[in-house]
Amino acid sequence: QVEGGETYTIKEITVTGNTNFSAQTIIAYSKLRKNEEIQVGGEKIANAVKTLWKSNLFSSIDIYITNIEGNTADLEINLSDLPELKDLTIEGVKKGKKDEIISENKLQSGQKVTENLIATTRNYLTNKYKKKGFLNTKVRISTSKVIDSVEKERVNMHLVIDKGEKVKIKDINFEGNEKIADKKLRKAMRNTKRKSLNPLRILKRSKYIEDDFRTDLVSVVDYYKENGYRDARIISDSITYLDDKTISLDIKVEEGEKYTFGKISFVGNTVYTDRQLSNVLQIKEGDTYNGVELRERIADDTNPDADDLTNLYQNFGYMFSTINPVEVSAEGNVIDMEIRISEGKPAYFNNVTITGNDVTNDHVIYREIRTRPGELYRKTNIIRTIRELGQLGYFDAQQITPNILNPNPVDGTLDVEYSVVEQGSSQIQLQGGYGGGGFIGTLGLSFNNFAIKDIFKKDAYKPVPRGDGQSLALRLQASQFFQTYSFSFSEPWLGGKKPFQLSTSLSHSRQFLYSPQTRRADKSKSFNITGLTFGVSTRLAKPDDYFLLSQAISYQHYDLQNYNTGLFTFGNGTSNNLSYTIGLSRNSLTADPIYPTGGSSFNVSAKLSFPYSLVNGVDYKALKEERENLDPTVPADYARIGEIDQERFNWLEFYKIKFKADWYQALTKKLVLRPSLEFGFLGAYNNDRGVIPFERFFVGGDGLGNFSLDGREVVQLRGYPNQSLSSQDGASIYNKFSLELRYPITLGAQAKIFALTFLEAGSSVNDFKDFDPFKLKRSAGFGLRIFMPAFGLLGIDFGHAFDNLPDGTAPKKWETHFIIGQQF
Amino acid sequence: CSDFQKTLKSEDTAAKFEMATELYEAENWKKSFRLLDQILQKYRGKPQAEKITFMHAMCSYQLGDYYISSYHFDKFRDSYPQSEKAEEAAFLAAKGYYFNSPVYSKEQKETVEAIEKLQMFVNSYPSSQYLSEANALVKELDFKLEKKAFEIAKQYNIIGGYTGDYNASIESFNNFLLEFPGASLREGAYYYRFDSAYKLAIRSVEYLKEKRVKDAIGYYNAFAKAYPNSEFMEEANVHHEELQQELNTLTTKS
Repeated sequence: QVEGGETYTIKEITVTGNTNFSAQTIIAYSKLRKNEEIQVGGEKIANAVKTLWKSNLFSSIDIYITNIEGNTADLEINLSDLPELKDLTIEGVKKGKKDEIISENKLQSGQKVTENLIATTRNYLTNKYKKKGFLNTKVRISTSKVIDSVEKERVNMHLVIDKGEKVKIKDINFEGNEKIADKKLRKAMRNTKRKSLNPLRILKRSKYIEDDFRTDLVSVVDYYKENGYRDARIISDSITYLDDKTISLDIKVEEGEKYTFGKISFVGNTVYTDRQLSNVLQIKEGDTYNGVELRERIADDTNPDADDLTNLYQNFGYMFSTINPVEVSAEGNVIDMEIRISEGKPAYFNNVTITGNDVTNDHVIYREIRTRPGELYRKTNIIRTIRELGQLGYFDAQQITPNILNPNPVDGTLDVEYSVVEQGSSQIQLQGGYGGGGFIGTLGLSFNNFAIKDIFKKDAYKPVPRGDGQSLALRLQASQFFQTYSFSFSEPWLGGKKPFQLSTSLSHSRQFLYSPQTRRADKSKSFNITGLTFGVSTRLAKPDDYFLLSQAISYQHYDLQNYNTGLFTFGNGTSNNLSYTIGLSRNSLTADPIYPTGGSSFNVSAKLSFPYSLVNGVDYKALKEERENLDPTVPADYARIGEIDQERFNWLEFYKIKFKADWYQALTKKLVLRPSLEFGFLGAYNNDRGVIPFERFFVGGDGLGNFSLDGREVVQLRGYPNQSLSSQDGASIYNKFSLELRYPITLGAQAKIFALTFLEAGSSVNDFKDFDPFKLKRSAGFGLRIFMPAFGLLGIDFGHAFDNLPDGTAPKKWETHFIIGQQF
Repeated sequence: CSDFQKTLKSEDTAAKFEMATELYEAENWKKSFRLLDQILQKYRGKPQAEKITFMHAMCSYQLGDYYISSYHFDKFRDSYPQSEKAEEAAFLAAKGYYFNSPVYSKEQKETVEAIEKLQMFVNSYPSSQYLSEANALVKELDFKLEKKAFEIAKQYNIIGGYTGDYNASIESFNNFLLEFPGASLREGAYYYRFDSAYKLAIRSVEYLKEKRVKDAIGYYNAFAKAYPNSEFMEEANVHHEELQQELNTLTTKS
């Protein structure tokens, strides 16, 4: 027996009692040390007990002082472990629910059974079922000790859940309401409903959930407030149990007087006139007083883009403005309001910074930013900046965030920091596959954020020089029937002064005809195409700065050797295509280029060759007449046709006009509708010389061009086999309409996935005489797109055709299309 | 199997330690690192741990893995503040951050971090043998931040013809001159600030022209006063003269 307050030095520490933990662990955990001085009843021992308790592992802890010898003593820590849970039995719920109860309450066997565990489990379960409408739920938990095979004390737990009958609200009674009918008040209660006589109302159940009921009481008061009863309040509410299954709710209200708005005056406004402000406020003298509406018209918290007074100031530079409505008089139930505005200084951007660009160089980003230092703060400019940074494709569009920093009302300045996350913008494609009668190997490299100035710097190869916003692509593709090589490069801001894009591309392809004898490519029959293109494009300032004007000069050389097909009557010959393309486009799509949710894109272009026939003095009319009189089945005549065609197509003479428009409209927060239409026309200046065999349109199928160096345009029209809606050699006129409904499944940084359904219709003809924009081949279907930065876009569509193919045969019912790499 | 492979696969920690030390002294960082990596945990709390921790950090430093080496050098210094190697560890930790600093035109998070670490080193070891090197590194990093701010401000000048916003350049150079009082690029900053103001004034709408011309002349005077012998002076003088004439016609008109 020791008195309090004496001090001893610890000689030994021992651990006794019923515990599975090693003595060393417990001593270390208690933080008591040998040779340490302790005071009886002092802090050290108290703390040791406290720490051990906190571990939640023991049911009792005692520390004794033993063997006192002079001023040394031994310590004994005596403790017993909390019993562990052995088996759990649950009664009163379905088997399937048991696992859920176990995992949500951590009732796995081995768990330490504390009073706390029992209490929280009971509360959790009671509340859980109450929330589902089982108002009379009772949960009983009992435990029993067992000694298991290893002689360790454990407990079994027995859980009994008695849900009782599901309680329904039979009636909701109001008292004290004279001005507004029960029915309307009940309607204002959005979550708590009485048992309905209407069997169709299945979504709102007549359950009683306390939290929802409280919210609904506030809604009732709000409903009064919206109708001029600004003093309305709930005096009392109570529940009456009618029987085991039903209750009724009784609500007593005090309505108060009805008020109307009196004079509304503005104080402190210098930027906007009273008239402008009251137009936005939309509340007039004499209107029923509505506190909720007034608050919303001043600042609508639920919608950051609302057309309210706060945004009127905030979005146009007055970042530091505050607006306070004050009731100045309430005589005769007419409330005069004074809207007090403190405009503050207009806010100007001071520092504009970027974070997160560990690949892309500053200058590539800063030239796109529309919130520059010294400029008036405008929310729309921030939104536009985010949109345009997203469209660059170097950053994850979903993660670009503007942070407003250091707002300084005294100087009227603020900083904005755009936080970006780089995303992979390079793609490497290496693939082999069977198609078109043999093995096709493809090597494609495309770098969309290239830095050509670093091409000779060894350090920059991580894995390629990046960060200057240039794009570079290389592609090699070969099979036994064809080989194509292409290279392209573009710089979006040539010279760095303005968005003047320069692009060049170089390509070469070689195709061989199929030899029916060897069933292989016939290398002696080849068709070579070599092409070179230079293009420039500039952003226009007018009519608005979403416009882009592009121009290009391209040259292609076609060289045929023994390449006789229906199209090429001159099997040995050459053809040259020198053309000028001018295009005007407008793109106002929202930030994410993969999944736009708004905006539109238009594109109109004309590709023209020089009208050689006007100046070269060849009499094409005579040639045409001669050709018409020849019989292609006679070999001599056929040879002559070849000569004539060679003359007609030695330098290709044509003009091609294309138009394409896409709209994106968000129907709900996520669902996006995309109508689009397109049209193309290939014509000849000189009808006697005729429409050229190149540059044609091929409609139908997945819209993926395998190798399209002869200027062909492959037009997607799902539901039909590839290129089945044009004649074999391509059409000269086409039009297409489509309607697509898209729904995003995920738009994360790793993968963007969305589902779509579509309706499409289009047609193509060879002669303007046959053109009827309403005689269309229709289809409908659905599909899925997956975009991953490393792989590009992958997709699958199932399309159903409604019309016969041009040759009159019926297409198969469902056509499956795989979409690879194509952007939209 | 070489001796190294045998030792690497054996369970003999003492032999590993011995071989790692040998390899370390022979500056074979890669092999030494692999051995040290295996035994680092086993020697925890033992007297050899001090040496092993340092060597381990040094190997990753020499191998160019600066994120790792700085972390381990920092940990070494925290664990053995009395060690004779503590100062060297502190310096190499800071220098590792320096190596992680990217080119000025990308995000400078690592640069700022490196400056802080180097500054902390200078403060903790004011008489260190590495002091002059540390100061040189800080200077180099400071210049990076300066260059970044300068180039951004200058870009606003370059794209001004397209954006029509020369004010962004003026504001940015104002901020630059305020933020980098000892900057070596100040001369350029003075000049380009004047150049932006000049271009803004010349292209200005009529009712703001007089004020802008006067502002530009003010920026010229500041430039001429600070750098009278600047290489840009000749061009600035030409523009200045043009502004003076502009001002004369404006004042005689009114």
